[in-house]
Amino acid sequence: MAEQGHEGGIAGHLHYWTIKLDESNPFMQIHLDTMLVTLIVATGMFVFALWLKGKLVDGAPAGAQNFMESVVGFVEDTVKDNFPVHNPLIAPLAFTIFVFIALINTIDVLPAFMIGDIAHLFGVPHFRPVATNDLNLPAAMAVSVFVLVLYYEFKLKPVHFCKELLMDPFTNLVPGFLKPFVMPINLILKLVEEIAKPLSLSFRLFGNMFAGEVIFLLIAFLLLSGGPVSMVAGFFVGLGWSMFHLFIGLLQAFIFMILTVVYLSIAHQPVEH
Amino acid sequence: MSIDLTFIGQIVVFLALVYLMRKHLFGPMSELMAARAQKIADGLAAADAGTQARAVAEAEIAEQMKEARVKASEILASAEKRAAEINEEALLKARTEGEGIVDAAREEISAELGRARQALREEVADIAMLAAERVVETELDAKRHAELIDGIVSTGFGNA
Repeated sequence: MAEQGHEGGIAGHLHYWTIKLDESNPFMQIHLDTMLVTLIVATGMFVFALWLKGKLVDGAPAGAQNFMESVVGFVEDTVKDNFPVHNPLIAPLAFTIFVFIALINTIDVLPAFMIGDIAHLFGVPHFRPVATNDLNLPAAMAVSVFVLVLYYEFKLKPVHFCKELLMDPFTNLVPGFLKPFVMPINLILKLVEEIAKPLSLSFRLFGNMFAGEVIFLLIAFLLLSGGPVSMVAGFFVGLGWSMFHLFIGLLQAFIFMILTVVYLSIAHQPVEH
Repeated sequence: MSIDLTFIGQIVVFLALVYLMRKHLFGPMSELMAARAQKIADGLAAADAGTQARAVAEAEIAEQMKEARVKASEILASAEKRAAEINEEALLKARTEGEGIVDAAREEISAELGRARQALREEVADIAMLAAERVVETELDAKRHAELIDGIVSTGFGNA
């Protein structure tokens, strides 16, 4: 395991707990903190699911079942409002995205250095507890959604999709003899448009959460490192930012979920003749 | 910020989580909620059907009550009419019978009177015969003879 050196200041807190499998290839490394946090959250969700599954009652729900039914109902309503046809995979996918991101984002409200300091006690040089601050997680989810969108585009309307790739937007605007020449331009523009979807999806979540973390660190460095008055001010400013960031985290989870549903909904739209 | 093997690991974790959530949490809860919603919808539909059936039954009852009232009033009118007829018949019959009885009584009185008169005549004749015998036997004078006959006649025929 190769550890990154501890740098001072904010940048020093932005390193991952990394294991490098090949020093010469930057792709051949694993962020252990990201993997550990996502595995813990995923396992927690799975254990909770098994626990709740054994306690489900047909009658009036209460407690955890009541809360989860409201979440499931919210996601189902969102999917029904945006989806033209019934697909049994979409609602569970949207539900998992929403809950998974919301839970991981919620970790960000913990004090900025607490988890890292605890990790230091066990000899871990760096530890970033919010996995959505690592581009790998948002990108993994966005690419998974993108692959699913492409799958449904090719499955449900292959001819129409290929036609869109080659013909839109310029083919109908030029004379017939120029059509073959504008097709590559159309293809490039369409590919940019399609690739922008997972990029914007992942970078929006990553950027918001990363910026939130940086602001936490700024508050900590600027205020908590001063005198008593500065520390008290830093505590309350940090607390306020935590509350706001909790809202941002939920909002980003919802945005990721709704965009996933919208992209898949577009892929399911029937072809207009 | 870098894309590395963590990306592959995250895809595996994410897709596995989607599968597990669908199988163990979202699927069962969704089915449960759908079944409950269906149950509630069935209950509401049954309640609506019950309300409609009750309204129909109440309308039928009102119609039947109306028909029963009409029928009862018809029966009552018929019964009153029949009672009046029976009363009239009984009155007529009683009157006829009464008149018959009176006529029979009159006839009987008349016959009785005739028989009494006949008996009286026979008795007067017997008395006259007796008086004549006595007149003959006792040889009364003409004056006394006439007084005696007048007395017998007034006595005997006065009551006739």
